[in-house]
Amino acid sequence: MNERNDENLRELLEQFMSPEQAQMHLDDIEKGEKILREHPAPEPDDMLLANIKAEIALHVIPHRTTAFRRIAFRVAAVAAAVIIVTAIWTNLFNEQTVPGPQQHEQYASEFPWDYQDSTVFNTKLELLESDLRALEYGEKDVDNESAMTELELEVIEIAGDFWKG
Amino acid sequence: MAENDDLARIIVGCRKGDSQCFSQLVDMYASRCYGYFYRLTGNNDISDELLSELFVKLVEKIATYKGGSFESWLFRIATNIFHDFLRSKQRRKKLLETRKEQLETEFTEIKKSDDEKIEKLEIQLKKLDTDTRELIMLRFYSQLSFKEMAKIRYEPIGTTLAKLHRGLKKLREIMDG
Repeated sequence: MNERNDENLRELLEQFMSPEQAQMHLDDIEKGEKILREHPAPEPDDMLLANIKAEIALHVIPHRTTAFRRIAFRVAAVAAAVIIVTAIWTNLFNEQTVPGPQQHEQYASEFPWDYQDSTVFNTKLELLESDLRALEYGEKDVDNESAMTELELEVIEIAGDFWKG
Repeated sequence: MAENDDLARIIVGCRKGDSQCFSQLVDMYASRCYGYFYRLTGNNDISDELLSELFVKLVEKIATYKGGSFESWLFRIATNIFHDFLRSKQRRKKLLETRKEQLETEFTEIKKSDDEKIEKLEIQLKKLDTDTRELIMLRFYSQLSFKEMAKIRYEPIGTTLAKLHRGLKKLREIMDG
């Protein structure tokens, strides 16, 4: 990983100066570095190194916890997405299938009106039917125009009641 | 080559958050980095502080290491830490005071021991300007090539070569004289 071992200092110096000058520079550098080798710097204290290692361990734990938390959040997000998509997909699939008789009953019970209401509507419809028949065959001795208006009003009223529930 | 493989394995461990691998990096580089800081500051306490800061930064930044020379990456952080230290007014003042104290102590006593050798080099190093001293120490302790050093210092390789040559030549002259 270190390039210094592959470096040819003489070649490098010769790119900038003559071979004689390069040799002189090389000697100066080597002599200068020899001085540094002969005067080693003090070594770090063992206690200092132990403290540094302990401090690193303290720094590493939160980093690992954060990494774990990040992974946990990702897994939770993916799981949530899968659940939502599955729920939507299942719902759509159910809507597309033809409901059976039992499902009809289920849906019917969810409507806001009850059985009595539907009986009233049926009775009204039957009355309207008979009125229409009477008009058609001239059974009722009334003015045709006013009878039609009355019928229309009744139909409107029934329709209003129906949608109100 | 095996050394490089070991280092690569350790770095992978560090990226996974293995504190043992970080400890191995401390064992491998603490001495060189400490020497670098010590030669630049001339103070044990400050060097201790900067070395700790360096390894904490290493933990924080290991994910940004994208391969290549690890020494180059590490000493780039070390250089930045030293520059931050210099920028800090209070710390610079403390450094100057320490240096002053050291100089007074050095001149009162002259011995021919190894300790005295270290002190003599320290005194002479202070006669060099900060940039030259930094370059010499970077070359010596990081063991980087000139190409890598030039990259860290954002200057042409010829400039780095010339500055280092001038600095080492001057150091030899003042050490001999």
